[in-house]
Amino acid sequence: MNVHGTYRFDASREIVFEAIRDPSTLMDVIPGCQDVHLVPPDNYEGHITLRLPGSAGSYRTEVRLVDVREPEHATMLGRVEGSMGSIAGEAQFDLACDGAQTLLTYSGSAAIQGPLARLDSRFAESLAESLIGQGLKALDERLSAEVVA
Amino acid sequence: MTVANYFQPESVPEAIGLLADHGPELLVIAGGTIAMPLINEGISLPSQVMGLRRAGLDGINLDGYTMRIGAMVTLTRLGEQYHVPLLATDAGRIAGWSIRNMATVGGNIFAPPPAGDLATALLALDARLTISGAHGERELALADFWTGFMTTSLEPDELLTSISVPLDVEPSAFIKFGRKQANTPSVVTVAVTAGRIALGAVGPHPIRARQAETVLAAGLLDRATIATAADAAAAECDPATDAIATDWYRRRMVRVMVERALTELAAKSKGKEA
Repeated sequence: MNVHGTYRFDASREIVFEAIRDPSTLMDVIPGCQDVHLVPPDNYEGHITLRLPGSAGSYRTEVRLVDVREPEHATMLGRVEGSMGSIAGEAQFDLACDGAQTLLTYSGSAAIQGPLARLDSRFAESLAESLIGQGLKALDERLSAEVVA
Repeated sequence: MTVANYFQPESVPEAIGLLADHGPELLVIAGGTIAMPLINEGISLPSQVMGLRRAGLDGINLDGYTMRIGAMVTLTRLGEQYHVPLLATDAGRIAGWSIRNMATVGGNIFAPPPAGDLATALLALDARLTISGAHGERELALADFWTGFMTTSLEPDELLTSISVPLDVEPSAFIKFGRKQANTPSVVTVAVTAGRIALGAVGPHPIRARQAETVLAAGLLDRATIATAADAAAAECDPATDAIATDWYRRRMVRVMVERALTELAAKSKGKEA
C-alpha cells in the first residue's frame, strides 16, 4: 500500500511541526482517535476506533518518529493492529515555507497483514488517504482557530 | 473469532443502549449485504453484532410535503412506492431481486463506491437524515454526512434512523450505467432533478456536481447549456480505477451520461409545461 500527497497550512512550519508532535493535538485531529500518549522521546501509542461498513472495532497504534530535522522533516515508523489484521509501514513528511504558509509533502508505504490483506488494496489506500486528508484538514482548522483566538 | 452475541433490539432506544454498552466492538447490521460477505470470508471478525430488523425502522410515512423513509426499509419496498418516482426507478435498478429484498435504504448510504446508487438519487433529492444517539436526535443534510471514502460523520454512539425526501421534485432522471444492463456495479450513476446533479461511483462517495449545477442555474436547459454542464461534471468528478472501469473511462462516461440525463430532464420539463 502506498500513499502520498500534499497539504497547505496557513501557519508557519515551526507551528505545524510542533502541532504534529503534540499528543493533545493528535488526539483531536486523528479521525476516531480514542487516546494517544507520548513515550519519550519520540514514541506515540494510542487507540483509534473506526466504524467502517461491515466492520467494527478499535485498533492499537504505535508511531515512532526518527530522522527528525526540526522543523522541516521527519520519518514516521508506524504499526496499526486490530482484529482485522495489521498495517505496518513508514512515511516521510517534509515541511516547506511558502510565504506565511507551509506546504506539507508526505509519502509512505505499508504492508498489510491478516484478513485485511484479502481486501482489494485500493480500499486500504483510498481509506488511508481519506483519513490522512481528514486529519490534515482538522489540524489546519485547529491551527487557524488558534491564530484567530 | 466467531460472533459471541447477536442482539436484535426491538426499539431505537434499546439499540442506542446496546451501542453505549458495547462501544466500538459492536457491529451494526442493517440488511447485511455489505457485512455478511466480509464476515463469511473471514475478513470482518466481529464478536458482537446488532441486527436492526426488529428495531421499528421499516416504516414509510408521508406528511404531504415529505416522505420519511425508515433506515431499514428494503430496496424492494422502496421500489414499490410511487410517491417519489426517482427513488422507485433507482431502487428497481440496483443489483438483483435477492439483494433488493435484503438491502436497506439506510445501508446503501454506507455502501462504498462503486455501490451506493440509491444514495446518489437521495443526494439529488437533497435528502435529510435523522440520526439518533444517547444525546437525542439531530438532522443532517445527506451532502454533509460523508467525510471521506467509507467514513461518515456518524458518532460511535449514534444510529441513522430515517431519511426524508421532498415529494414535489418531479421531473427527474436517473441513469445507472454499468458493463451490462442488470445486476452490475456502476461505471457511473447519474441522478438529476431541477437544479441538482448527483454522481455515483466517481468519487470517494456520491457527490453533487456543483460546478455543473452552477451552469444550469445560469440559463435554460438547452443543448448548449446541457453540453457545458456535462463538461463541467466530467471535470469536477474524482473517479478511481477498479476492476469495473478505469478512471479515464469513468470520466468520459460522466460526460455522456450527464448529457443524456439532462436531455431526458429537459424533455420531461417540456412535457410537464405542455
